[in-house]
Parts: sequence; structure tokens; C-alpha cells
Amino acid sequence: MSPGFNSLPGSKRPRTSPPRTAVRLGVALLVATAAWWSPARSAERPRQGTATKKRDRAAARDSEPRLRLPAAVMTAPSGPAFDVARIDRARRPAVAAAAAEIDRMLATQRDERGVKPSPPLDDGGFVRRAHLELGGRIPTFDETKAFLDAKGAAKREDLVERLLESPDFVSHFYNFWADILRLTERPQKDIFFEPYLDWVKRSIADNRPYDAWVREMLTADGRLLENPAVGYQLRDRGMPLPYVDNTVRVFLGTQIGCAQCHDHPFDSWTQKQFYELAAFTAGTRMREPGKGGRAAAGDVDAATAKQLRELQQTIRENIRAGRVDNGLRLFVGANLAGVGFAPRTLELPHDYQYDDAKPFDPVRPAVLWGDVPAGAADAEGRMQFAAWLTDRGNRQFARTIANRMWKKVMGAGLVEPVDDFREDHPPTHPALLEHLTDLVLELDFDLREYVRVLVSTDTWRRRAVVHDATSGAPFQYEGPVLRRMTAEQLWDSILTLVARNEWAFQRPTADAYADRAGLAFTPKTTYGDVEAAYRRFTDTYGRAAYQRQLQKEYGYHGQVLVRASELPTPLPLGHFLRQFGQSDRESIEGGRTTATVPQILAMFNGPITHAMLERGSVIYDEVMSHPTTEAVDVVFLAVLSHRPSASDRAAALHELRTASTPAVGCGNLIWALLNTREFLFIQ
Amino acid sequence: MNFSSSSDEPTLGRPLARRTLLGRLARTAFGVGLVPALDARLATAAAPRARAKHVVYLMMQGAMSHLDTFDPKPGRDEAGETGAIATKTPGVRFGEHLERLAARSERLAVIRSMGTETGAHEQGAYLMRTAYPMLASIRHPAFGSWALHALGKLSKDLPGYVLVGNGNNHPGAGFLDPAVTPVPVADPSAGLENTTRPGYLSEKDFERRLALADRIDRDFKQRHRGPQLEAYNQLYRDAVRLMGSVDLEAFDIAREKPAVRGRYGDSSFGLGCLLARRLVEAGVRCVEVELGGWDMHRDLAESMSEKGPDLDRGMSALLDDLADRGLLDSTLVVLATEFGRTPVMNENAGRDHHPAVFSCVLAGAGVKGGVVHGASDERGHAPDADPVSVADFNTTIAAACGLPYDEEFVAPNGRPFKIGGGGTPVGAVLADPA
Repeated sequence: MSPGFNSLPGSKRPRTSPPRTAVRLGVALLVATAAWWSPARSAERPRQGTATKKRDRAAARDSEPRLRLPAAVMTAPSGPAFDVARIDRARRPAVAAAAAEIDRMLATQRDERGVKPSPPLDDGGFVRRAHLELGGRIPTFDETKAFLDAKGAAKREDLVERLLESPDFVSHFYNFWADILRLTERPQKDIFFEPYLDWVKRSIADNRPYDAWVREMLTADGRLLENPAVGYQLRDRGMPLPYVDNTVRVFLGTQIGCAQCHDHPFDSWTQKQFYELAAFTAGTRMREPGKGGRAAAGDVDAATAKQLRELQQTIRENIRAGRVDNGLRLFVGANLAGVGFAPRTLELPHDYQYDDAKPFDPVRPAVLWGDVPAGAADAEGRMQFAAWLTDRGNRQFARTIANRMWKKVMGAGLVEPVDDFREDHPPTHPALLEHLTDLVLELDFDLREYVRVLVSTDTWRRRAVVHDATSGAPFQYEGPVLRRMTAEQLWDSILTLVARNEWAFQRPTADAYADRAGLAFTPKTTYGDVEAAYRRFTDTYGRAAYQRQLQKEYGYHGQVLVRASELPTPLPLGHFLRQFGQSDRESIEGGRTTATVPQILAMFNGPITHAMLERGSVIYDEVMSHPTTEAVDVVFLAVLSHRPSASDRAAALHELRTASTPAVGCGNLIWALLNTREFLFIQ
Repeated sequence: MNFSSSSDEPTLGRPLARRTLLGRLARTAFGVGLVPALDARLATAAAPRARAKHVVYLMMQGAMSHLDTFDPKPGRDEAGETGAIATKTPGVRFGEHLERLAARSERLAVIRSMGTETGAHEQGAYLMRTAYPMLASIRHPAFGSWALHALGKLSKDLPGYVLVGNGNNHPGAGFLDPAVTPVPVADPSAGLENTTRPGYLSEKDFERRLALADRIDRDFKQRHRGPQLEAYNQLYRDAVRLMGSVDLEAFDIAREKPAVRGRYGDSSFGLGCLLARRLVEAGVRCVEVELGGWDMHRDLAESMSEKGPDLDRGMSALLDDLADRGLLDSTLVVLATEFGRTPVMNENAGRDHHPAVFSCVLAGAGVKGGVVHGASDERGHAPDADPVSVADFNTTIAAACGLPYDEEFVAPNGRPFKIGGGGTPVGAVLADPA
């Protein structure tokens, strides 16, 4: 039976002969081992016992030990079904020059203060950091070894460029934006967000210019299932004032939300200014036809609207009578969810208490600073707002993203928090911040190219340093900040050690989802049509069926072994990712990297740590395919991306020699490396 | 005082006596029990009136509407669709969904004149939990961490502070020692997970693994030192101590009879309250239970008919059980939220953010029951009498716990800092006002 790196003394499981790949490592590694983790047994019980299945199962048992890891993740890597925009390799010298200028500015300030940069990162440290910070996971054993063995002065540039155009980059930066944009599958019960989540991912894969991307999100029209970009506006449906607050906070690094209720003593924004800004988007319409108010997308004619009202009446009756579940109502709602616009005048609140206006006074739209660009002056309010916000002339837009991506790469923003620029939070390096803002503009908001410059700095290629953000001392960038992996980096890194095919599963594309969930209403749509469409949906992408399928194909003790970016979201509270601080996707940048006891217990005893001790895991196979004498080096390279020091090697070899079997010792070694702080933190 | 565990180095310019007071107290009291009289000044501040040994903090996340719960305005437009019901306290009414709490109003001190400045959730919740405004340069401790830091643990193996629920954006231990970080429990039914070794692994092998990890991590730990790393080091030790402790059964609510569970309701919050009671019984100093979903911008009536009863059942059963076990005399129960909601219903049949006035509740050790303190105006728009700030509220909690709320400390950023935020305790709700 499937042996792992552990032994269960006294187990009655039948032994099987080792696979051929293992022979070189020595029979001793396997002989005494057997199934190791008791809950595994329940997973083995045949569930649907047709005779054929039993026969197949028996045959499989005879030919080869049954694997407990889901088969789908053990196949050859399939690669994701999307293309990633290529990197322009000819820009290497320009990138290097831009990076050098940043280093020069940082060095000047360091010198003035007599601060020395930290030592340069060695190749092992570099390959690990580059993979984690650009691809969201540790490098595989092969990737590490190839990099360490590679000759050539430009091997770091080669690696960076390869990573920037890899699906790993897309996955990692999707997680980054998901935390900022609060990406969840059901922002409200009757908004199905999957198409929007895919749209965000694809925007990253296509490397769309940031300004155009944001502009589209702020101005998109139509039904969500047809134009997923409306998702950004729908995220705050029914909350027009928080929508403006969130938008300005995320894209302009400015918090005016406190002025929503009254002038805030610590802030320079007044309640009037807040309402004036909100007046631009006051006409945004998200109501469903037939639910009062104007139609959302404005694409439903009167006859269809009438038919819809009748259908909704029938649906309500059928739900009440128990003929169909309430999901049908939500399904219809989701098919109507969308965004439209009809001019509307915003009024001051009933309790407006300042002298410059009276409650219920109409509010004329006005921007916080600068002007609405001339080209958009006559457009609808939403367009004016978006044009002003994303305009090249609005430096705060470029500055905010320059600082945000700087923090992403370096670990500390030049202004902190990155979404709260104000007098009380002056930049630590004002000239550098303006320089970076210029750089973002020069690159025409190509954020990936900007990241490429930042990771090409000498500063980034130095050892990480501890920085306590609450110490009060301005950070001098001796190197990037030592950070704990994010929850997603940790999950995807563990997956790297477990699953050969990390991309075995991807969330549905917008088109595929619309194909299963979409329902176009016409005056002739019958109740039967609606219910049939609903059934088609619940059988595929309906959440229950979808999650069942995920568990069935990719489940390992309840954990779905796919990339964090492809998992359902938000995950339940007890999920490994949530334990390690993944956001509930309700608050902007809700992700955390703080320590808790349950995290440590999960690393000690949880199923995820043990998945890699299973036979068929990547690291298991890797160790098996090498001679025993190399086992220690292989484990170190695979888990920590460097070879062991002489004394660590001695300690590890001692463990292998003195454990009850070398296999057990090897399992103990892997477990031990996973439970180091070195593994959790990005050096 | 210095808030880091590893050093006694004085921080900016405060007299050492003050700085070290609480640190010394914490060290001495850790794992031992209640405050020893090691400093005359402190003893007078803390001991005699100290009533609450435990705090159960119920956090209504998303901003609970005062108008639909503890401060109804029957007969007015502002009442919305929620009716009002009589309570056991003459002349005091609650929202219709709180019938069990209404029947227990003689245990409650309701404060109806809470007010704050911030209408943003994150900032509001931070202020409520720490009594300090959210700043970029510092992370303040949540009240539970303060209490634990000052009063020490009551149980050797069990954590001193448990947080049941989401835990997102929780300030945790702030600048205090990571040892007083709350231990989050995501799902009260599951309790604390992964506390047992895998079946295949002997204790000896587990120790081998730990020793090996420690050995290999030595270089890294020597190279890097910082608060976040130190937090992990500390919690690794805590986790090991916790594993295999017999006290862990306190986390297992399956040990309760179905009838008992039934009284708490089957909501996650109800089960969280049940878990809180078990933990208090077992000697956990502070428990916070979160109930999310109060951000009712749309269709408030529908949401209220779910949340209201969840709160009503969970909190009522908690009060009953604590009282039956004699624990309500030593346990303070707090119900808090980040701010209130607008008196005028919006076009989506919901209520928006309204920090000007809202309600919070105290019950149990150290506070009077059957009291309503302060009032909002007839529309529920602003405080009408006896306004209570968030700092006042936190200081009141500190007073009920016998903590030295008027003692000034120095936070790591050099600013003065007081437990409870330097407010004035609300004497009218305290059993023994200062």
C-alpha cells in the first residue's frame, strides 16, 4: 500500500513492491513504511460500488499501489489555458538604467544617514525570492538547480523575464489585486461574480495598461454576464457613497470616507467635498428591471420587462409552494445584475450641519483637485469622474500606484499606509516618490515593466532586513523588508512541493461561465425556459455541484489542491489560507501576515503539511529519483532553495541514520524544514 | 514601560517606575493568577474593587443599528419596520427581535448615548477594541490583550485570550508581547483544530522533528531578529505546550448536551457564546465572539429577522449559564459595535453608517443591571443626555476589571497611553463606582 515518508508501527496494511524509480534510493527507504496517516483510510473506502468500478479498483491495486493524492494533480503539468503577454527583451539596458537611477537615489539618502546596505543576495536567495515575489511560490527543485548551475552574467535577468511572462505571475498578481478589490464570488447573494474574477485575471495576463484598466472598471455598462468589467461597480451595489470612498481610497490613496458623515477633525476633506465628488456617479443605476427604479443596463424593452415581472411573480409563487428552491430567484437576479446610468442630482443629507449649505440642497459635481479633462467635460458624470481620476495630469493617480507597487516589491511604502496620503504621513523619500511617479507615466502605466525595473535594482537584490513599521524610524531600504509569506504564497509553495500539475484546475473563464449561467430574457421567455436554464447552471457551476466536483477531482482530506488564485473565494474561516491571514474579501487589503497559534498547529499536524509526505508528491518523487547519499541535498534544495551548510548536513544525516528507517528520517527532515521560520519568511 | 518581552530598556523619557510597573506585574502574574500586591500604588488601584476576572466581549461587526435593537423609537418614522417590545425594566423597550434579552434586562446596563467620530468600519472597530484611533505608526492592543497582559493567565496550558470568529483586522496584541495575542477559533463547532499529532507519529518522533527544525533554523534566527519573528518563536512554544493538554476539551462544545446547545441556538454566534462559556469555566481570561452581518445597507428588516434572534439567543443563554454557575459574579459580558446606523431609512430599505450615536451593553461582574444610561434624541440621531465616548466605554470596562485605567504608560512611539484610552468611567453603570 502506498508508503509515504512515515511509518505507522503495527499497521496491517499490505506491503507492495516499490516502484522502479525508487530502486536507486535503496529498498530500506520503503521497506518498513506503510500508510501513515489515519484519516487517509476513510478516503479509501469505495463509495459507489458498481461491479465495474470494483474490478477496476482491484486491477489498479494489483498493478500499482493506489495513490492517495488526487490523480489530477499528479499528471504532467498541463499549463494554464491562457496566454501571457510577452516581455520585451530588447528593453534590458533601459530597465537596468532605470534601476540604477533608483539605487543612486536610495544610496544618497543612506549615505547621508550613514546607513550601510545589507549584503548581496546569493543565487539561492535570489531564485527563491524571485519566484516568490514574481510567481507567488517557491521554485521547484529543478528550477533551483537549473538556476544554481547556470552560467552567464545575465542569468538573473533571464529568470526575471521568464517569471514575468509566466502564468505564475498572473496567479500571484491576481491574488494581490483580489485582496485590494475585494474579489469574492458572491458580493451579494444574487450577483455571480465569476466572470468578473476571470476578467481581472485576464487583464493581468494581457498586461493591460493600468490607467485604461481602471477607466474601464469605472465606466463599464451592461449586464455582468456579458460585460464582466461592470463587476467593479457592482461590488458596492446599493452603497453609492462607500463606492466613491473605496474608489478614491484604492486608486488615489486618499481617504475621504470619514467625511461621509461630517467634517473629520484629522482630515482636510469636508462633507461637502465628499458629496460633490459622489455627485458624479450618483446616476449609476444597478436596479433590476421590475424591481422598481430604472432598468440597470437599459437593454430590456417594455415587453420584456412586462414578461419579466410575470415570470418573477410565478417564481415567487413556486418558491413559496416549495416547487423550486430560492436559488432560482437568485439565479434570475444574477442574470439581470448589471450597471447603467441615468443622470440624477445628488442632495446633501438631511442632517447636513455646516453653514455653507442646507440639508437637501442639490450638489453640483466637483473634483477634489485639478479639473475634469477637457475631452470629457460634456460626458456623463461617471465618465467625467473616471477621466479625471485616471488622467495623466492627475499625478496622485500615478503616485498612488507607484507607491503601492513599490511596497509590493520592497515591503514598505514610501508613504504608509499606501491608501492614506496626507500631511501627517509624509513620504520617507519625497524625491524618489516623484521620480517613481514619473517612471510609471513614462512607462505608460505598464505596471509589469515597472515591477521589472524595481526587481532589477541592486537594492532588491540584497538580503532582506527586519523593519518594524511601528518603530517610527524611516526605513532606509538597506534591502527589501523581511516578510512572512502571504497566505497565498505559502499555500502555493506547499502545492509546489506536492502537485506536479499545479494548473490541473482553473476557475471558469467568463465565456464558459456565461455559457452555463447566462439566460437572455425576451418577451417570449417562459417559466419552463427559466427553470431549464437554472437546472443547467446548478448541475455545473452552481456552487454545490462545483464544490463537489472540485473535492472529487482535486480533494485531499478536504483540501482542494489547486492554486490559491483558482480556489473558491472567500474560503471558509477554518481553511489553511484563512488561518494564515487571507482576507475575507470584505475589507480593502484585509490580508494579514501576523502569527497565530492555529497556523502553527496546522503546519505541525494539518493535512497540507502531510500531503507532501505522501508517495507521488513532487518532493517524494524527487527524493526517490536520487541516490540516498543525495537525499539531504535534494530536500534542502526543494524546500529551502539552497544546499545545507556543513553543520546542517551533518544534523540531517544524523537524523536519517538514527531514525527508525531512513524513510522516516527523510519525512522528519522535510517536516522539520517546513516548520522553520526560514521557510515561512522571505529572506 | 517597555512593551517588548525581551528587554527592559527604558523608552523615551518616562520615569522608570512607571515604565516597568506593568511589565513587572505581567511577568510576576503570568501563569500564576491574580494580581499580587507588589506595588502599593497598583494594589490600591487594582485590588479591592476588582470584580471581573473574565471578560466575554461580543463584537457586532458591521455596525449594529441601535434603532432596531437597544434603542427603538416606537411610533416614529425612524423606527422602520422593527417593532418595540417591553422589557423587565419599567419604561425600557428593546427591538422586537430581542425578546429573551428583554426578559433579562435586569442583568443589563444599556448605554444609549455612545458616540464616535468615524463612520468607517475598520477604523471604528479598531477604535472600539483598542480605545485609540488607528494610526500608521503604531498598533495598539485590543482590550483583551491588555487585560491578559496586566492580569495574567489563569490556566497554565490554555490560552489566555481566545477570539471566536473571523478575526480579520483584529488589532490583537498590538505593541504588547505576542504572548497575549488572541488565539483565533474560526468555527466554534470545530474548536481548536490540529491539536493532536498524526497517529503515525510517536511523541518521541515529534520531539525529534522539533529539535531538528530548531537546529536548522538557528542560522536564520541569528541573522534576523524582529517583533514578527519573535511572535512566531513565542507561538511555536505555545503551540507545543497546548498540544496534548487535557484542558483542550474546553474547546469541544460537542461535550455539551443537545438541550444546552439548543438554548444558544444553532447559529455560529450562538455556538461561539457556548464555547465562550466553556472557556471561561476552564480559566480562559478573555474571550471575544464576533457576530458579523450588521452592515445592513439594504433590506434591513429581512437581515434583522436573522441577526436579531441570533444575538438574542446566544447572549441570553450565555448570561443564564454564567449566572447558574456563579460565574457572572466574576465575568463581565460586553456587547459592542463600531458605530450606529442612520435614523432615516435609505432607498434600498436599509440604514447607512451613523457614528453620532449608538448603543452598547454591559452585564455581569462589576456592573449594575437594569440600568439604561444616557439617551439619544427622539429621532435616534444624536446623544441627548450623558454622552459616552468610546474611551469612556473602554475605561468603564477597565474599571470593572480593576485595571489601573488612570495610570499613564509610554507606548513604543513615545506617546502616552492609558488602559481604556484615558476616558472617564461611567459611574452610573458600575457596581462600585470609584
